[in-house]
Amino acid sequence: MIFRQLWYLVKAAGSNLWTFRGRNLVSVLIIGFSFLVIGIFLALSNNLTYLGQQLSNNLAISFFLDRNLKPGDLEDIKNQILASELVDQVTYVSSADALARFRANFPELQEIIDNLKSNPFPPSYEVKLKEKILSLQAIVYFMEKIKSLKGVTDVQFNQEWVEKMESLSRIVQAVGFFLGGILILASFFIISNVVRLNVFARKNEIEILRLVGATNTFIRIPFLLEGFVLGLLGSLVSFFILFILIKIFPIYIGSSLGAARELFSLRPLTLEQAGWLIAGGVVTGTLGSVTSVSRFLRV
Amino acid sequence: MIELFHVWKQYQKPHWALSDVSLEIGSGEFCFITGPSGSGKTTLLKIIFRELFPTEGQILVDGVNILKIPDHRIYKLRRTMGIVFQDFRLLFHQSVFHNVAIPLQILGLPYKEIRRRVFNALRQVNLHHKMWDFPQRLSYGEQQRVAIARAIVNNPSILLADEPTGNLDPELAFEIMSIFKEINKQGATVIIGSHDRELIRHFGDKIFFLQKGKIIGKEEKQ
Repeated sequence: MIFRQLWYLVKAAGSNLWTFRGRNLVSVLIIGFSFLVIGIFLALSNNLTYLGQQLSNNLAISFFLDRNLKPGDLEDIKNQILASELVDQVTYVSSADALARFRANFPELQEIIDNLKSNPFPPSYEVKLKEKILSLQAIVYFMEKIKSLKGVTDVQFNQEWVEKMESLSRIVQAVGFFLGGILILASFFIISNVVRLNVFARKNEIEILRLVGATNTFIRIPFLLEGFVLGLLGSLVSFFILFILIKIFPIYIGSSLGAARELFSLRPLTLEQAGWLIAGGVVTGTLGSVTSVSRFLRV
Repeated sequence: MIELFHVWKQYQKPHWALSDVSLEIGSGEFCFITGPSGSGKTTLLKIIFRELFPTEGQILVDGVNILKIPDHRIYKLRRTMGIVFQDFRLLFHQSVFHNVAIPLQILGLPYKEIRRRVFNALRQVNLHHKMWDFPQRLSYGEQQRVAIARAIVNNPSILLADEPTGNLDPELAFEIMSIFKEINKQGATVIIGSHDRELIRHFGDKIFFLQKGKIIGKEEKQ
């Protein structure tokens, strides 16, 4: 008997979704657009995070070394550098390598180099830092430590960039939490009101069911299923539109922003973000529906 | 048995929709509540199936005080009743079959059984040929008969009807009353709110006269 009732309720939900397809389509679109706004923000934020990572990947520290160091001392310094958790990779650049690199990078300055009697470039260790390490304090502490080692003559590192990266990262996070919070809250209110209007339009039906002896659960289940489906379809619509936007947005901003276009690009959502967005749609649709029905179930 | 003890109902001060109504309707009785428009017939019926709460008083149905039944258990009371609403309360986006089938679907009966019972109920009100039509395509009188079929499809032990023949021609009104009488013969208590004197005179076993919310008289056929 329970299965028969459940089957009836599933059929009723399906039939209602189809019967009120116009109204339901509007609900789906509103849910879709609300989640699209969140999706666009996530895609922008993803891009900024990606850019941040790219920048931090390019962050390298050069430790210049005494020309007369013995291989054993070189090895000691290398081991000290590798002992730090910040370090991803260490490369030894000899004086000759540095000169060759200079020649390749600045061919127009070839003459000046040719006029020099000796190689002006000292050997160095180039240290590549690990991704996602943006703590300036840790980097400075590490640099000071290595600089104090015997045989290390100087250190070169673009501290300004790291500071900018740190503040950019903080701003992105703060804006993210603020905008994300407001958007999610606003979307929830919009969606629950749309669902409430939907339920309100069918209050006659709820009343009839109540008066002919339906239990509250029996009345709630079709609405719950409908809310679930509307929420799911809404979040899928937002994905679809977001996908199209990600595809066509670069073409649209192609020439208008110049170098800044990288900052305003959209990067696809991660699987985890996509999962949360779908779960958000489903939960909002279902909760909005169930809480709205409850208002008509008294007595 | 349905018993009302000193029932008062007020929607808005200072008017009383019902004033100190006490009555008793025995099991299997065929009873009319009559009176002019606004006398409180609909309010009284709504209180009996607890769509409304009285401002004061107590109501017993088969010995159970229905005002003490918690909201989430009230469906049990309503499943024993068939109700014909004055405004029919039909679902216009559902077929006649689905409208009549609602009380049975709630019980989880098999589809074959539902179909059989719905067909029988519709045949009783002479509307079985329009089983798959939608209510908006039916006349006012036909919609009323759908509402009656929905009320009787569940073989209720109590049948409440609010002006069930209000929009029917006399011939059909008599036919509908005969259906109610038939259900009554099968053991159901039937309570009808109506101001159709002809019908009341012809069918009523017990009649309560209401005026301005007060019972001003009672008549019982021997």
